[in-house]
Amino acid sequence: MFRIDADRARFREIVRGRIRSDLSKYLSTPELIARQGEHAVSVPVPQIELPQFCFGANEKGGVGQGPGERGEELEGEGGGQEGTGAAGEGEGQHILEVDVELDELAEMLGRELALPRIEPRGKRQLVSDSARYSDISNSGPDSLRHFRRSYRQALRRTIAAGEWDPAAPRVAPIREDFRYRARRIVPAPESSAVVIHMMDVSGSMGREQKEIVRIEAFWIDTWLRSQYENLEVVYIVHDASAKVVDHDAFFHLRESGGTKISSAYELCLQLIREKHRPEDWNIYPFHYSDGDNWSARDTEKCIALLREEILPRVNQFCYGQVKSAYGSGQFKKDLDASLGGDERVVTSSVAERGDIHNAIRAFLGKGR
Amino acid sequence: MLPAQRHRSPLSAELAHWAERIEAVARSYGLSFHPVEFELLDARAVNGLAAYGGFPVRYPSWRFGMEFERLEKGYHWGLSKIYELVINNDPVVAYLVRSNSLPEQKLVMAHVFGHADFFRNNCWFASTERRMLDAMAQHATLVRRRIDSHGLDTVERFLDLALSLENLIDPYLPLRRKLASGAQVSGAPAPAAGDGPTFDVLGFLCERAPLEEWQREILALVRDEAYYFQPQRMTKIMNEGWASYWHSRILTGGVLDGSEIVDFADCHSGATATAPGRLNPYKLGIELFRCAERRGEDLMRLRRVHDDASFVDELLDEEFVASQKMFLYARNPRSGKSEVAERDAAKVKARLLADLSWGGLPRIELAGVDEGGALHLLHHHDGRDLQLAKARETLARVAGVWGGPALLDTREDGAGRRLRWRAGELKVEELDTPAAQPTN
Repeated sequence: MFRIDADRARFREIVRGRIRSDLSKYLSTPELIARQGEHAVSVPVPQIELPQFCFGANEKGGVGQGPGERGEELEGEGGGQEGTGAAGEGEGQHILEVDVELDELAEMLGRELALPRIEPRGKRQLVSDSARYSDISNSGPDSLRHFRRSYRQALRRTIAAGEWDPAAPRVAPIREDFRYRARRIVPAPESSAVVIHMMDVSGSMGREQKEIVRIEAFWIDTWLRSQYENLEVVYIVHDASAKVVDHDAFFHLRESGGTKISSAYELCLQLIREKHRPEDWNIYPFHYSDGDNWSARDTEKCIALLREEILPRVNQFCYGQVKSAYGSGQFKKDLDASLGGDERVVTSSVAERGDIHNAIRAFLGKGR
Repeated sequence: MLPAQRHRSPLSAELAHWAERIEAVARSYGLSFHPVEFELLDARAVNGLAAYGGFPVRYPSWRFGMEFERLEKGYHWGLSKIYELVINNDPVVAYLVRSNSLPEQKLVMAHVFGHADFFRNNCWFASTERRMLDAMAQHATLVRRRIDSHGLDTVERFLDLALSLENLIDPYLPLRRKLASGAQVSGAPAPAAGDGPTFDVLGFLCERAPLEEWQREILALVRDEAYYFQPQRMTKIMNEGWASYWHSRILTGGVLDGSEIVDFADCHSGATATAPGRLNPYKLGIELFRCAERRGEDLMRLRRVHDDASFVDELLDEEFVASQKMFLYARNPRSGKSEVAERDAAKVKARLLADLSWGGLPRIELAGVDEGGALHLLHHHDGRDLQLAKARETLARVAGVWGGPALLDTREDGAGRRLRWRAGELKVEELDTPAAQPTN
């Protein structure tokens, strides 16, 4: 342990406090997504500085050294800071990156949005073989003999037998007195969840709409990952037909043509039947679109699919409508009209990035 | 903290041999210094020490943690690597990084003897505390004790407040005092009595602000350290130039093996490389000393009597500006990017001198305390405006330490401004008769 580690820990504590209080800002930007590693996100935070009297921004100029004609641009913008005299003083604009564990980020999110913890449906209780010798048994190998417990047992027996003599406190253990350390088997429930993100990639979903979906999906995954030991994420895109894609394709694919939402729901159902069975998985389908569907008939088909096939098998179904210039927003109205009373269905509508945290709160606020 | 010791160790026999040899060569050239103690460090420990300004023990502060984080990231991404770390102390303490090659270690050792000579002989360092290692450790103990009795949050809050004011000292005060009294003193100068005017705002506050005893101790400690570091700020170019000049002379004067010359040249040119829009103090400094050498000047005298500003003033001329390709850059308001604006020697020099004077900081003087009990600060405007947003925050912190209202006279875009902090509120007033005249 270095002395500096304590100061670093204090600094990080201060930074975490800032991230926490600024979390709503991060909730509406894609800033953190690109910075996600396997276990942690590197969060850019402005360097915390103590204010001091210093020269202002109109003094960006200075003295430099090197070739270049008058009017020639300097390479490496920001070099002016170290230009002259006050070297090392102009560091106010620096951005620091601080690693925050994904679990910690989820905890901040939960606190910010007051999210309840999820009770896993826990269909499957896996008994894990934990190797902790915290139990006591009457038999066992000598190597595991528990001296204190054995002695206590012997003492107890001696006293009970009336053989205890305080003047000569001798305790002779017999075979029955010995106690041994034993393995305690702890049944550890193992919970798995799958998130199925479905998105309309037809022409009307623009860049901004997808960005909003991406931000929502990031936070949803972050939260659910903190709630389950094992989280799988599946991506489905659809226009008139649906397919499973990887993470990159999901956010960048752009198709033209019509929109048939039922195609996605059918594929989702197929996945649930074949791969992510409800007995083993907590299932979270999320669907994002701008609210247009091919036809009223397809919408009816979607609602039937949801009501009869999907909803009975999943924890919760979420529909996030993202407002676009072309979308009518009809699909959410239809869903609300036919399934509005069902507590397994959550719908939300996002007009701009500032609404994202409301949508996330709606989706995750039920603790299902 | 014993465990940390494991990461610091004395030199190997080979390095110790070279340290002795290099010291002898340095002395033969006429350099003189307090004893120099080298220690070997792991790369990680170097960043930890560098965050503390080279001292193994400092008071606890998140600021050091932040600096450490920055250095670690820089090291991790290969952006920066610390070669040398040397403390102005008696004995001088210098660290060598274990993973460096032998030619690199030789270069750093020679460089360190250059710094050690500068610390001992430059007049601006004459009254610095030479037992700073001990003083820093005492400061650390003091702050820890105050944290124990008043709580971390309380002490940290005040320490942060005090650190905001650490620049409000008079860089010329220690030398002036020394010249006036003729006595050999060390450490921060005693604060002047009276109501000012004075540039030693921290000293004034230590004496006059209605503080609790522990707060006064902490403010005094921040002031001590500020006065200790101030000469290094004022002589960055000279100090690095001097050390680079000597490492180059010492090493090429027989200390290097023929096979090491290329490594040396590589390392040396890395340290003295320039990038457009940057002034490398190593490069500018060594070139100034070489220029002086060509003119037949007494280098030992130069290193004794100057700080960066007066050194540049004495040596920088048209020829130097041209040969060193120096220029003035400015931000192009249309593109928002910096570009070469001027190569006129007089203008380059004027700007450089402005940047170097007063340690590169704005000159803020305490004019006095007005009838309303307000602390009256005066910014001596030299054509460069203050960053007003920060000035407001800082003024609020000055008022926080003073325990009453505070005001600051400055100029913005040529017009007089008075920032007034009173009862938790900041007001900006127009100043018809700008007290803050351009001065130089």
